[in-house]
Formats: sequence, C-alpha cells, structure tokens
Amino acid sequence: MKTLHEPDQALHVEDLTVSYGTAPALWDIDLDIPPGVMCAIVGPNGAGKSTLIKSILGLVRPVAGHVRFLGHEIGAMRGRIGYVPQRHSVDWDFPTTARDVVEMGLYRSLGWFRRPGRAARARALAALRDVGMQDYADRQISQLSGGQQQRIFLARALVQDAQILILDEPLAGVDASSEAVIIALLQRLRDEGRTVIVVHHDLTTVQSYFDWLVMLNVRIIAQGPVAQVYTPDNLRAAYGRHLAMIAVPGPETGAHTRPDPAPTPDEGVA
Amino acid sequence: MSFLADLLGSQIVRTVLFGAALLGAISGMLGAFAVLRRQSLLGDALAHAALPGVCLGFLIAGTRDMGSIMAGAFFTGALAALTMMLITRTTRLKTDAALGIVLSVFFAAGVVLLTYLQAQGGAASAGLASFLFGQAAAILVSDLWIMGAVGLGALALILAFWKEFKLVSFDADFARAQGFPVMMLEGGLTVMVALAIVVGLQLVGVVLMVALLIAPAAAARQWTNRLGVMVALSALIGALSGVGGALISATMRGLATGPVVVLIATSAVVISLLLAPARGLIWQGLAARRARARIGEDRILAAMQGLARAHDDARYPSEQGMLATALGDAPAPGRFAALERRGLIRAVAHPPETTPHWELTSSGHKAAETRRPDAERTP
Repeated sequence: MKTLHEPDQALHVEDLTVSYGTAPALWDIDLDIPPGVMCAIVGPNGAGKSTLIKSILGLVRPVAGHVRFLGHEIGAMRGRIGYVPQRHSVDWDFPTTARDVVEMGLYRSLGWFRRPGRAARARALAALRDVGMQDYADRQISQLSGGQQQRIFLARALVQDAQILILDEPLAGVDASSEAVIIALLQRLRDEGRTVIVVHHDLTTVQSYFDWLVMLNVRIIAQGPVAQVYTPDNLRAAYGRHLAMIAVPGPETGAHTRPDPAPTPDEGVA
Repeated sequence: MSFLADLLGSQIVRTVLFGAALLGAISGMLGAFAVLRRQSLLGDALAHAALPGVCLGFLIAGTRDMGSIMAGAFFTGALAALTMMLITRTTRLKTDAALGIVLSVFFAAGVVLLTYLQAQGGAASAGLASFLFGQAAAILVSDLWIMGAVGLGALALILAFWKEFKLVSFDADFARAQGFPVMMLEGGLTVMVALAIVVGLQLVGVVLMVALLIAPAAAARQWTNRLGVMVALSALIGALSGVGGALISATMRGLATGPVVVLIATSAVVISLLLAPARGLIWQGLAARRARARIGEDRILAAMQGLARAHDDARYPSEQGMLATALGDAPAPGRFAALERRGLIRAVAHPPETTPHWELTSSGHKAAETRRPDAERTP
C-alpha cells in the first residue's frame, strides 16, 4: 500500500496549475480543507472556481501539481466523493425520470453489467426523500423547476453516501425554498462529519451558510475559517473593482456598501 | 394481397426488404444515442467522409468487393472523426466549423476519386456512383449477413453496457468523476454509429445516410419519456421505414429505394412532431388554449366576486359590459356561456336594463375563491 500524503486533510492541493492555451486558469494553487467543514469557494467570474473543482476531480488535466483526498489520490477515492455538476451542464430534456437520475449515483457501486434492482430503487427513493422530492420520483426531469432539478442532482450525490461532497454552484438559479432545503441538508451532512465543498456565487450568504472559506482569483487569495477570511482586504484582493456591488463587512459598522467607483477611465482601483 | 405475395416471391425484393428493415433498425437504435448526445451532424460528416474510403477500397481490391469497400469507408470515416477532434482541440475553431470543413474536404476528395476512377473505365467502377445516393437492388444476400452481424453486435453491446451508455449520454462529466472510462464508452458509441453508416451506404448512400440516423430517433423522442422505449421505438420506426420504402420502390418503377426510405422516415418525424401526446405541437396548442380559457374564466369569476363584495350582495347582477370594462378587454363571447354551463354563473334579468347580466352561483363563489388568478398554483 502506498503511503498516504497529508491524510489529515479532506482535500490537499499543492502547486496546482491549469492553463487553457497560454493564459493560466489556475496558478500555483496550494489548498487545504480539513474534514468536517462546509467550505465555500468564492471568486469573481473567470476566477477558475469550476476549473478548480474539475481539476481536483481529474476532469481537467492540470499542467502541474497534485491533489489528495484524505491522503489518497482521486483514483482511489472515486466512490467516496459525491460530485454535483452545474445544473446547466446537462440536457434536462433527456428522456428519463427523477428516480432514474438518482439511481445513476449507484451505477459505479453496481459494477459492470448489473442493472439497478429493488435495493437501488429503495436507496434512490430514500435520497429523494432527503431532498424533499419523493413525490416527483417518476416525473420526466424536464417537467421539474430549476430548484427541483438541482435537488435531484444533489440526491444523486447523496445516494452514494459519500464522505466528501463537491458541488458546483448548487444555488445558481434556484428558488428560495429549494435553497433552504439544500443548505439545511448540506449542513446536516457537515454535522455528520462529512466534508462539503461548494462553489458559491452569493457573497451575502457566505457568513450565514458556511464555516470555511476559500477565496480564489486564479490564485488563492485567502483560505481558512470564514470569520478570519471574510475581510474587506481579502474581498478587495479577490474581486477588485467589481466589489462595488457587494456588501463588505466593515470592522466597526458590521456591514456597509462601498460606493460604485465613478466610471472615469483614469480612475484605477488598487 | 396476391400482388404482395408476388412481390415477396422475388428473391431481389426479399433481399432489399430485409436489408432495408435491418439497416433501419440498426441506424434507428444507434441514432437514438447519437441524437441524445447531439452528434447528429457528426453522423453526417462521417457518412460524407466515407466516400473517399469507398473509392480507395475499390482501388485496392480492384473490384467492387463489399468487404474492402466497407473497410475503406470505415477507415476514412474514422480519419475524418479524428481530424475533427484534432481541429477542435488544437485550434480556436468550434465544432460546427470543424464539422463543415472536414465534411466538405473529405467529400470533395471522394468525388474527385470517384470521377477519376470512372474516367479510367471498367464496368465495375461505373457502379461506384451508386454510393452517392444508394442502390438497393445491388444488395446481395451476403451483404445481409454483414448487416445482421453488425446489428446483433451493436444490440449486444448496448444491452450489456446499457446503464453506462445512458449515464455517459446524459452526464459525461459525472460519469468521468465517478471513474467510468468515458473516452472508451463515447468512442464505442461513435464507432457503432460509424459502422451503421458504413453498412447503410449501399442502400441509402453517403448523402442521405444521416437522415436514417436522425429521423427515427427524433420521431421516437416525441412519444416517450423513457430512454429504453425511445431506443426500441426508434429502431422500430427505422425498420418500418425500411420496409415501406422497399415495398413502394418495388411496386412503382423508377423510385429509388434509399430516398423513399428517407422520405418515409422523415414523414414519421413530421407526424410525430405534430401529433405526439404532450410533446406534439397540436397538443401543446390545445393545452395553451385551455390554459388561456381557464385564466380568462378565472378573471371573470374574480371580477364578479369583487363586484358582489363591493355591493355587499352575493347575488349582485353584474352587467356584462361592466365586466368587460373591469377586465380591460371584452372576454371571448363563449366564456360566459361556458361558465353558465358548468353552473358557476347564471343569467339574470335586471329590469329596466335589457343588457345581459350575470350573477355568481354559490359554487361560482367557491370557484372564485379557490381559482383566484393571483392564487398560488402548484404545477
């Protein structure tokens, strides 16, 4: 058996660099996420959030660096990592039902040539119940709302009973009630000791939803407990002038909004 | 039906019939996956790119030998697919541009080779042009065996790797994250599509072959929301189109089998797009009309209840013109009658006015309560 590398970290990333063409999409990423936290990955558009997730899962080939989950390489951990891709990455008009999609999370453990049977069906229904979608099991997936589709995707990851969950923008375009269901479920999973890693786009909810935070803008800007990382300086470093729209926590006022910088061409924001 | 028996008595007709049915079933089954994976145009490019291979196979074998012609077609088809992959990976060109370039370059090379070979003369080379649009009558019984083997092989693979093919077709990223050999699975599906094309060349030809891949699948998709049913139905529609085309061209002189098969398959698409329950345009139009009618009626009921409440009189006679004003536009004339038929409103006289008046019945009040236009409606 190979010796484990950094087995105390749920996710350990070292020197990870990914490039599309000549421009680096991710540059020299060093990242540690301890087990049992609910971690948000935030950053502006084009910061490489999805690329980071795809490269740690081995879907995008990095030009440098290595990744370990609880000390193991990804190949040894596939069955123990649940992945929820972006909802828009698939065609929801595909001829299949909600339960069928959830059962896909069990295909790996079934092995070649075996079809999902009664046990798989029961597990899929249980996962659907966890996301509050048991009444929609036999619905064609195009008949579901965006939030319901996202819950189906989440159920597909849940049904694996994975130790580590990685979700790409699970709250994008999701209605308020689905968001509440998803967050409550993820927090419950975290409380059971699992590690939940979420690409997140809404800075206003970072502090209330998550306990660990990674700020990314091609490089790692900051990482650690939310309370330490969610600071005006870090936000400015990650978002630069785009920050105008976002509430920045001030040291004494709690939160205030920075005024929009005037769109004069000579004004530079550090 | 004696003339049908006469037809089937002919060895050639029987062979064409079987061949067309087999080919329709194979391309229907594999086309379902191609369509769901958005690879319909890849099929078209593969089919066109098979033409130079047909000529090369002929050139190497020296005769119109089916085995070498199919091998050549498969070879240049695969070469075209590889070229396309290289173009999209190494340049900034998108898939559609790469498809267009590869398709036309390979097809042009094929036509050049074809005309060159024909200019060289030789009785056999004259038949090569039939690969453009297919020539069903040239099918031999030995070709049927090849088709049957390809069909059975594809069927066995699809049954064996059913759940993997389904997963890869729906969500390749997830499959990859789960550690499935996605390259192999996607490659396997593409190779099978290429085989179906090669098998169909003789019957339908390189130009029209893609229709036989897409049309049965597009038609089948309209009738079902289950992948298994869709694949089976697609194969059935393909086979029936093949049989129909073979019979029609056998009974009428001068109708080429391949194009007739394609026409039948595409008319199945038109019928399915219009008529299929739930997804068909006609049904969707009817559903939209019903929804409009319902919303219109809900607004009438709500307006009447509003007037009744404003006047503190549950049986307040609302004047039709007043309702039209309240609603912003006059409701379609049938709406009031429809509501009256269902016992939700009733016509009342309100002398001395002679215009129509309506009052809400008690069930009308109840309906207005539960069907308020702004009330939340769960799907």
